[in-house]
Amino acid sequence: MKYMLIIYGNQELWDSVEPAEQQAMFAAFDEFNKKHYETGELLGAYGVADAAATKLVRLADGQPAVTDGPYLETKEYLASWYLIDVDSEQRALEIAAALPSAVHQPTEVWPILHEASRETGVDIGVV
Amino acid sequence: MADREIGSRTGREGAEDLLRELAPQVLGVLMRRYGGLDSCEDAVQQALLDAATQWPASGLPDNPRGWLLTVATRRLTDMLRSESARRRREDAVYLATPPVALAGPEEEQDDGRDDTLTLLFLCCHPALTPSSQVALTLRAVGGLTTGEIAKAFGVSEATMAQRISRAKQQIRDAGARFTPPEPAEREPRLRAVQQVLYLVFNEGYAATAGQQLQRADLAAEGVRLARLLHALLADDAETAGLLALLLLTDARREARTAPGGVLVPLAEQDRGRWDRRLIAEGTALLERTLATARALGPYQIQAAIAAVHDEAPSVAETDWAEILALYHLLEAVSPGPMVSLGRAVATAMVHGPAAGLAATDDLAGTLGKHHRFHAVRGHLHEMTGDRIAAAAEYRTAAGYATNVPERRYLERKLAALASDYPGQSLQHNVSSLET
Repeated sequence: MKYMLIIYGNQELWDSVEPAEQQAMFAAFDEFNKKHYETGELLGAYGVADAAATKLVRLADGQPAVTDGPYLETKEYLASWYLIDVDSEQRALEIAAALPSAVHQPTEVWPILHEASRETGVDIGVV
Repeated sequence: MADREIGSRTGREGAEDLLRELAPQVLGVLMRRYGGLDSCEDAVQQALLDAATQWPASGLPDNPRGWLLTVATRRLTDMLRSESARRRREDAVYLATPPVALAGPEEEQDDGRDDTLTLLFLCCHPALTPSSQVALTLRAVGGLTTGEIAKAFGVSEATMAQRISRAKQQIRDAGARFTPPEPAEREPRLRAVQQVLYLVFNEGYAATAGQQLQRADLAAEGVRLARLLHALLADDAETAGLLALLLLTDARREARTAPGGVLVPLAEQDRGRWDRRLIAEGTALLERTLATARALGPYQIQAAIAAVHDEAPSVAETDWAEILALYHLLEAVSPGPMVSLGRAVATAMVHGPAAGLAATDDLAGTLGKHHRFHAVRGHLHEMTGDRIAAAAEYRTAAGYATNVPERRYLERKLAALASDYPGQSLQHNVSSLET
């Protein structure tokens, strides 16, 4: 069963963390990733750039119009996500709890329902 | 077993079947002689590759098993000894030795049966998680490549390679050796092997949409491995029960999916599309087993339930009283909420939907977040004529479904209910599901 783990970032909270502790956190994430890649449970780990680097694409009269944004009103926004494939929901929750960020931030655990086939593009579902 | 059939095998497909049949036997011999699942398994994979590329051109060797054993042994030697001069010398020795002589006298009567069984026990070692047991069994016993297994499970080849190599590592760490389990251990280990074969089959059977082709291969592989286990342990009633269950379930596979990947439930299946040959084989096997079994195990009882369905010309003509009795039996030997849910359905068919609904009430605590629980309750409410309650259950069920065909089926049920009551609030809920 595949799950997406989502962590929301909070720039203010992150800025208040001591640089040494930030470095320790990075190392802890590296360790976490290595460990779960090795078990074959982690399929991918991604983090986004600062919200200020984000662009919005809209179609205006059929032409793409690119602007800055979105201008988020919340302090927290999508920061990282992990795609995992595990034996049970129980295991997905365990891995979520093992994230180094778990001491500061909650983690959303989303079951994946749809997945498109690499060969045909057709929805193959997820078992 | 293999030798008898060689004559009838032709072409690439025949050679592939034969290779996969011989793979666990050759691996078993190598394991017994040299130990080390990791290197032996790699050596056999390389030998299979050699055979797959050389046999189509040169034709089947007289003794395919001896050929594979020789090449795999040479590959293993290549890996184990790095000194090139020595390797060349040994190559020369191996190449000069006829395969029969290399195989040694013990192998001439030994058809590798015990080795294959020991290999199955090793792959289903209790130190491994179920999905690792499945992956390792498919590779070491099933002879599938890592790429094929990865594709069937929707992960990258690199990820699957990690899982398989980790599984081997865990077996090594657990100190497992290539020996049959101790007598006291044998029964639980055999249950684990049966469970793994059931899981392999179910991976192929349960997810039918889109992925149909690759997934169907897993169902077929589950049946093939169950046949293998049954051939090794003809006297084990539960192994026979497992094979019968898979045959009797597989018989309905074609009728189970409609175009577009929609699940077709038992009640709506075109029974003319059921595979009569598989049903006859499964029924005959089950009857032979039940005639001699001392105590009925869960696979035999589930096979008996499947047989009652398979023999019925329609839902109405199904012997539901027999099915209800079998569910009571199954609950006694292998209790669980899903079994109780099956019993509730049978109760509804014998004593009416209200009795069936009452039988599901106690399950809300354990199955309240499972789509099947709500789908069953939806059906039972529909049988009582309470369409509003049925729609509510189907909607809840669709929300909990984590499998696309099942979800589509539930959405279709909901849409059908709503179209009978146009303009009512049901309609709104259907459209919110569609988006």
